[in-house]
Amino acid sequence: MIEVNEMPQRKVLAAGTAAKTTDVKMANYVPQAAGPEQQLPAIIRADRFSLYYGSHAGVKDITFDIYPRAVTAIIGPSGCGKSTFLRSINRMNDLIPNTRAEGTLCVNDVNVYDRRINLANLRQQVGMVFQKPNPFPKTIYANVAYGPRLQGVHGRALDEQVEQCLRHAALWEEVKDYLDRSALGLSGGQQQRLCLARALATQPNVLLMDEPCSALDPIATAKIEELIISLKDEYTIVIVTHNMQQAARISDRTAFFCLGELIEYDQTKVIFTNPVRKQTEEYVTGRFG
Amino acid sequence: MSQAIQSEGPAAEFTRPLLLTPGADRAGWLAAKAGRAALLLVAGASVVAVLLIFFFIAREAIPFFQERGLGEAASSTHWYPEDATAPQFGMLALIYGSVSVTVGALILAVPLGILAAVVLSDIVPFAVRQCVKPVIELLAAIPSVAFGVFAVKVLAPLMQERLGLPTGTNALNASFVLALMATPTIVSVAEDSIWAVGRELREASYACGATRAETLLKVVLPAAHNGVIAAIVLGMMRAIGETMLVWMASGNACQVPAPWWDLSQSVRTLTATVAGEMGETARGSLHYHSLFAVALVLLVFSLGLNLLTERLLSKARKSAGAHA
Amino acid sequence: MITRGLAVTLAAAFVVLGVTAYWAQAQTTRPSMPPAAAASAPAPKAAPMDKAALQIDGSTTVGPIAVEFVEAFKKLHPDVTITCKQTGSGDGAAALIDGRCQIATMSRFMKPEEFKSAVEKGEMPVAHAIAMDGVCMIVHPSNPVKALTIAQVHDIYTGKIANWKELGGMDAPIVVVSRDTSSGTYETFTHFVMGKDKLFDKVEYVNANPQAHARVSTTAGAIGYVGLGFVDTKVKALPIDGVMPSRKTVQAGTYPMTRPLFLFTNGYPKLGSVEHAFCTFYLTEQGQKIIEAKGFVPVTSY
Repeated sequence: MIEVNEMPQRKVLAAGTAAKTTDVKMANYVPQAAGPEQQLPAIIRADRFSLYYGSHAGVKDITFDIYPRAVTAIIGPSGCGKSTFLRSINRMNDLIPNTRAEGTLCVNDVNVYDRRINLANLRQQVGMVFQKPNPFPKTIYANVAYGPRLQGVHGRALDEQVEQCLRHAALWEEVKDYLDRSALGLSGGQQQRLCLARALATQPNVLLMDEPCSALDPIATAKIEELIISLKDEYTIVIVTHNMQQAARISDRTAFFCLGELIEYDQTKVIFTNPVRKQTEEYVTGRFG
Repeated sequence: MSQAIQSEGPAAEFTRPLLLTPGADRAGWLAAKAGRAALLLVAGASVVAVLLIFFFIAREAIPFFQERGLGEAASSTHWYPEDATAPQFGMLALIYGSVSVTVGALILAVPLGILAAVVLSDIVPFAVRQCVKPVIELLAAIPSVAFGVFAVKVLAPLMQERLGLPTGTNALNASFVLALMATPTIVSVAEDSIWAVGRELREASYACGATRAETLLKVVLPAAHNGVIAAIVLGMMRAIGETMLVWMASGNACQVPAPWWDLSQSVRTLTATVAGEMGETARGSLHYHSLFAVALVLLVFSLGLNLLTERLLSKARKSAGAHA
Repeated sequence: MITRGLAVTLAAAFVVLGVTAYWAQAQTTRPSMPPAAAASAPAPKAAPMDKAALQIDGSTTVGPIAVEFVEAFKKLHPDVTITCKQTGSGDGAAALIDGRCQIATMSRFMKPEEFKSAVEKGEMPVAHAIAMDGVCMIVHPSNPVKALTIAQVHDIYTGKIANWKELGGMDAPIVVVSRDTSSGTYETFTHFVMGKDKLFDKVEYVNANPQAHARVSTTAGAIGYVGLGFVDTKVKALPIDGVMPSRKTVQAGTYPMTRPLFLFTNGYPKLGSVEHAFCTFYLTEQGQKIIEAKGFVPVTSY
């Protein structure tokens, strides 16, 4: 209670949300997501952020911080707004007509919904991997080289960057002799790793992943998960997943969304072992969702 | 427990039989075979019809080639088929006319059509697209003679007054009006394929930090190239095969202008020649057969163009690295 | 499976049936009009005036007269069905010879090869000159040139004279407009003007009198030719060899570019038949009025 009063403008959960729940522990709840070991300031900060599709709110009143050099998972039942929130971070929702944002969503202390935002630079530094593998109908090489070429990288430097990114995505050994073949000839898992390599090639700081394994088999999933863990030393990773085991395996912090609202956000181990709110507990133990 | 289950027979009662009776099985097999054969017949009929047309035109054209050979048609620009003493059948000027108005029309219509398609699919709001697209498709249904009247009554005098050209019915006029006529087709087909590229690829490109222009040029258009090329081919076929409009708009002077790229002079196309002269030729005369020869040249021409674009298409497909 | 197969079969069967039926019909109707033998007798059976059907096909020049004739004719004989096509003199002749029509309208006389193929089929085409047509040289009303000779027109159409100033007009290139080479008007024009010489390659072609009129009336430097009926105030008709084209000079034949317009029938129509009544309609007062109204010159003078 005292702590909440100390930073009223950064209340992580809006009062309205708390009032709606029947959870008695709620009044005292303060997110501990930052954790004692957290040294770095937050890189993504949402403050009372809402996004509307027409009159329908995709997410409403979201307030929380995402920290760098870590994996943050967003879980929740279908239609809870977890993808909407993720796609707001790099303004990908712009492609959907009639969207409208309220509140602020800052990346590196700049509100991405500022009118003056440089979208190309934002998206170059906040990369994204999508739910369905979506390689361009070009060669493997051209797929990875796409981002760097936009930034004016050519020749040897480009070759090296492509190779490095493919190695990073653990795809190099499989495709190094077929770089000029169509990316569409790869398997689903390979395609997704190619998309990951393509995202890495723009040299982002933040990597957004929208259910990157939902279309993949368990072996491909394991590979991607391994990659995510290996990448977190260099990148800030935000991953949306409906697979709770996955969230538990790979993430440092987990946010639980339901019906467009942020219900709980904490260290992953807390969410999965000792959640504050009953809704969260019911979801992670599989009683609803 | 397991014994009890066995003794009770099938686990569930299926009220409808899962296997066909032998009679029904045979009848179904026969019906499917007969249906397939009949459909094959129908599909074959269209191919046969095209072959028959080709055969008919060739048959009527052969007497011309037997009498005059190929040399004169391919080397001379003098087309005087009705001359009583020494008729001449040089087709070069006609071929030039067809090529010049078609190329002229494409130069105008292709950039315009593709630009319009991109604007419709990616720039304007969805609601606008839904309103504008049917209107554009309606434009494609305007009969060519209406464009022809526009060419003669509006565009030709305008060109004479504004551009100071001595004659307003010329290759430029024909190209321009052909472009107007072919653009809706190009827009409609190209827009469909650009639209069909889908949000996933666009998102992938934006997520790499590409601007809208970069996304359209480097991802969307290359991904839609099949449809875009098909649109261009359709537009081209419409232009090269168009008769009434060029007959009215091009002036029909049977010449290769000097210099050859001067579009402000009158030209005559292959199609206009056939349509304009077929009506009153005596059947069986050399002139009559020569018009079939012109038609054959046109047919070979458009067939060749079709094959060429098909070739380019498969090449483009390969270089785009599309999945085989 | 059965139902789907059946549906497919049925659909296909319908298509096949339709095609077969059509084919069969074509087979049965065709022999009734054999190329030579059967049609060699006076082809249009002189049907009683009532409920007779008459097919007319041919020239686009004579067509408008024929259409008006048909309109007037229908009022006199309401039970007669007449169709009137305007495809071209050559098509009209071919249709007459093939028995596809009973009357061909032609703006020129039949050619020897057409006569030949008619005779080979046992037909003897007969011409009925129903009106006169003067081919007039027209220029833009603003053109100061006042008169031309046949020789000057000849030089314009062969490209020897390329600028109006050579004829005392403005300094502007001459835009030379001709009718299409298969039109009767073109033939009349070349017959009177060109002789054996060819039109030069910058001559523009249009495929109808109204189009020639439109091109000349909108183009300051243009010259063209149309039938007398298409001369109005939007274009200027020039006297040729000192004779102004008019009803009088055309009817008298003093205007140098004058031609008759024809109806052709297979043999002289049986007296009292529909064909006969139609082919002599031009001799009536009403027929004369129609010909005058269409801008041509009647052969009669009531």
